Amino acid sequence: MSDKNKGLSKAQEIYLNRSQRARELKAAGKKIIGYPCVYVPLEMLTALDLVPYQTCGDIKEPVTEADRALPHSFCPIMRNCLDCALKGKNDFLDGMATIHSSDPQEKTARVWESYTNYPYFHFIDMPITVRPEALEYFKSQLNDFRKTLEAFTEKKLSTDKLEAAIKSHNQQRALVRELYELTKPSPPLISGTEIVQVVKALTSLPVVEGNDLLTETISEVKNRTDGPEKKSARLLIWSSTLDDTDIMQVFEAKANVVMNESCGGIRAYRGGVKFTADPLEGLADYYLNEITCARTFRQATLGETRKDYARDLQSRFGYLKGIIKEWKINGAVMLLVRYCDPFAFEMPSLKDYFNSLGVPSTYIEYDYTTGALAPLRTRVEAFLETIS
Amino acid sequence: MVVEKGKKTINRLKSMYPLRAKVNETYLKSVEAIQAGKPAVWGMLNFYYGDPILKAMDIEVVYPENYGAIAAATGVAQQYLDRADAEGFPTHLCGYSLTTLGYASRMMKELNGQIPPEAPFGGMPKPLFLMSSAAICDARYKWFQALGRYMDAPVWPLEAPIPGIKEFFIEGYYDRMVKLGVKHLRDFVAFVEGMVGKKMDWDKLDKTANLMIEVNRVWHEVNELRKARPCPMHSRDFWSAMPAALFLAGDLEDSLRLYQDMYKEVKDRVNNHAGTILEEKYRLVFAELPPWHSLAFFDKLAERGWNFVIESVGYHPPIPIDLSKVSDPLERITKFSLQFLVGYYEDARKQDVLGGTTAYPYLKYAREWKCDGALLHPLISCRSASTHLPYVSDMLMEKLKVPSLSIEGDIVDLRLFNPEDALAKAEPFEETMEHYRKMRKQAGDDW
Repeated sequence: MSDKNKGLSKAQEIYLNRSQRARELKAAGKKIIGYPCVYVPLEMLTALDLVPYQTCGDIKEPVTEADRALPHSFCPIMRNCLDCALKGKNDFLDGMATIHSSDPQEKTARVWESYTNYPYFHFIDMPITVRPEALEYFKSQLNDFRKTLEAFTEKKLSTDKLEAAIKSHNQQRALVRELYELTKPSPPLISGTEIVQVVKALTSLPVVEGNDLLTETISEVKNRTDGPEKKSARLLIWSSTLDDTDIMQVFEAKANVVMNESCGGIRAYRGGVKFTADPLEGLADYYLNEITCARTFRQATLGETRKDYARDLQSRFGYLKGIIKEWKINGAVMLLVRYCDPFAFEMPSLKDYFNSLGVPSTYIEYDYTTGALAPLRTRVEAFLETIS
Repeated sequence: MVVEKGKKTINRLKSMYPLRAKVNETYLKSVEAIQAGKPAVWGMLNFYYGDPILKAMDIEVVYPENYGAIAAATGVAQQYLDRADAEGFPTHLCGYSLTTLGYASRMMKELNGQIPPEAPFGGMPKPLFLMSSAAICDARYKWFQALGRYMDAPVWPLEAPIPGIKEFFIEGYYDRMVKLGVKHLRDFVAFVEGMVGKKMDWDKLDKTANLMIEVNRVWHEVNELRKARPCPMHSRDFWSAMPAALFLAGDLEDSLRLYQDMYKEVKDRVNNHAGTILEEKYRLVFAELPPWHSLAFFDKLAERGWNFVIESVGYHPPIPIDLSKVSDPLERITKFSLQFLVGYYEDARKQDVLGGTTAYPYLKYAREWKCDGALLHPLISCRSASTHLPYVSDMLMEKLKVPSLSIEGDIVDLRLFNPEDALAKAEPFEETMEHYRKMRKQAGDDW
């Protein structure tokens, strides 16, 4: 039996009541800063003793309030996130840190700022390329973020504290990677559903508490005897965001999801921030260069004057090759949240890439509501039948 | 001059026609260029950033966004949409992008790079390279990346910073945007030089940049004249005339002369108190992309006395700024392009309207062009031109007591726009406009 205050049970409890810890910390005098996207450099918040809290959507919550601010044909996750905010579900927040990681993030940030009244609100602009001048611009954006955070907290962001925060967050990334090592065996030692709970719990906690949770979870999983059953397929799910257990369970009813390549899975944890003389440089490089989201324009060679499709695919999706081999993936699902343009444009090319590796794949779309679960189940079952 | 009964309900400007013809000229020139062995490029609307560079290098540019509208209006888009669907692109993507992807698939997979025979306006020839842009929406760089599936043309994605309104006023912000722009354009020039095998003529670029700025200044002044009552120029004339300033379509010296002619014609109308419609009962602002395939809809509204006096901020020239002392043409181009994005920020901050680049200008328009209402046109497959509309509607009512009418449609799917249904909403909306007109007057406003 697992201890309810530790590891997987604790993660599940936090997942089910995400804001509880943030509210406790707020009551204890901490300041809580919301962020809607993994591109916001949390290290800078941590270094100033601010608690980062990811403002997520809730597929069980029908969107009503956000209708007055955003149209229907718009990213359903951002509509849902804003809806939760407008309904006061994030009323404990002292501020928001937003970023131009995609068009919906940018557009929603403007509306969010206009319709709420947090003491702190900051928008970070983000380039689309990884060119040197873009990196320099992004670094300057992080410097502006530093300035407004310092003004808000009335504290200086020292290099020492920022480096310590980078170290803690890098540790978290390493621990999540270690957690994913536990999905390599067959059957995996931990399910995709459990990982969604753990990762979502991390986004609700101060980094140190998150690292403790991960350490406990890894230890528990390594020693457990009640792990997931072996299923007919070992799936990779590639998506913008898969952060809901109801959705993950649709896949795991008949398959083992051993890799969740999305912002609800490993995406924000695959790499690590390099230590540089100016820590903002390392942060800018990590967030612009290392996170493998479709929003960034990547090329085989910067400024290339010749195009080769195979090399192009490699530059955009090459990181998946190693995952497919090491995790022994035998099916890939390209899961699109409707109206997510950066990911939607990738679908045919990513399918070409999976085909080149001999991995069967399917494209499925859903709208981040509970109403999407039944059709999702039908599509998943059909795909699993074709690859079994 | 008063528009006589029995004539067309919208009295179109004579000076508009030669400007409208520049679109056709652009497509024909690009095809001729390819036939003559010269380079042609596909470009994304980039708000003056990359266009003058290509212009100075004598490269013919066609704009798939614009071509998507043409394909829709001429009825050939559907086959390209079906083809993009079959290729695996989600159907809710931007209609223009799907049209281009379907077109490219047909051209490259079926016709070995030849222009499809059914393509209107002579079609878009196979490009030497693609110039995409990060401005306004994600589709506008991801779409060109996706074209790599069909053609081996390299892509240059133009960066386009979009600051928050508050954040823009952090010390040094503007200078850093300029630095990014100038460095980025310098690298772009090197890229273009490599692609076409010749060096940039910097004197020519200098002259091109100045002409671009002057063309847009005159175009801005034309639109300022539309504040007059009755309004001398309808939105339909604006949309017909804009490509020469927005896309730099055709010869720039010629365009400058034509916009100057337009200024004179509009000024004459103002001096003579001549309106563009028979009887101006209601002055409206239109947002955002119009229903290109159903523009006759505006004639029906004109018959009811609806005059569209201002429109589509994304197509309007930047508020003029003096850049005559900026010696580096790349810096001048960058600053001019940035002015499009941030030109309204100072005012927006003062008014505490933080809703982004595309929202605040509509408040300014409604206030200064004395609008009784706003007609909003949200588009199912163009989210970037629709996202801010609920917010715009909310702000217009909250700050100015100007009501909005929202009529859904699409940029290429004709079935989603129902002109009859839209017209049925006109009468009740007139009552609403009358009501709020009284409320504004009671509150001391002058319109």
